[in-house]
Amino acid sequence: MKNKIKVFRAMHDLTQEALAQELKVTRQTILAIEKGKYDPSLELAFKIARFFGVSVEEVFIYD
Amino acid sequence: MKQNTFYLLAGIVGLIEVGLFWLSVVLRNPLIITAGFIMGVGLLYVARMTVTDIREDERAVLISQKAGSRTLEVFWVLFFAVSLGSAVIGFGTPLGLPRPRELPRDFPRDEPHLGYFGIFQMIMLCCIAFLYIGFRVYYARKYGEWDSDEE
Repeated sequence: MKNKIKVFRAMHDLTQEALAQELKVTRQTILAIEKGKYDPSLELAFKIARFFGVSVEEVFIYD
Repeated sequence: MKQNTFYLLAGIVGLIEVGLFWLSVVLRNPLIITAGFIMGVGLLYVARMTVTDIREDERAVLISQKAGSRTLEVFWVLFFAVSLGSAVIGFGTPLGLPRPRELPRDFPRDEPHLGYFGIFQMIMLCCIAFLYIGFRVYYARKYGEWDSDEE
């Protein structure tokens, strides 16, 4: 599964650490998701999408 | 409680357990270390619940779960094999199945081997710990624990 977290993060001028604190996860988790090494749970995926104010499909792309 | 305070407490409990083990051996009373160990682990579980600055998210939980289940999958085979061997020794005594009249010279006699078996079990438990750490490192790498930051 691909994702555009890095793009949205850049658009909102957020560091991985800042985003991780907002979502109450570790920075390593954000890094692992961005690199495609870890697929987040549905709950975290929705949290990420809601945080950026977009739908889940806009952040995560199933390939 | 801070996480470092918890680690300090865990170290102190560990030292107390060593002391209790020594006391158990001196007094020849296995109940001391058995009860002491259960109380020590219980204390650490309660103390861990009060740690406030722990940061564990779903990825960390997944790594722990995967490592734990893999360790169990691998270890039960070894543990069952050893237990089967122990059962053969147990059934070989007069309390179990009747023994053959002519025993091989190296067949275990009726001396109490329980203590040695306990030491062997402790060695196996240490192997579990190493196996768990190995799997944990493997899954941590798989899920990007030590990846470098690209920011």
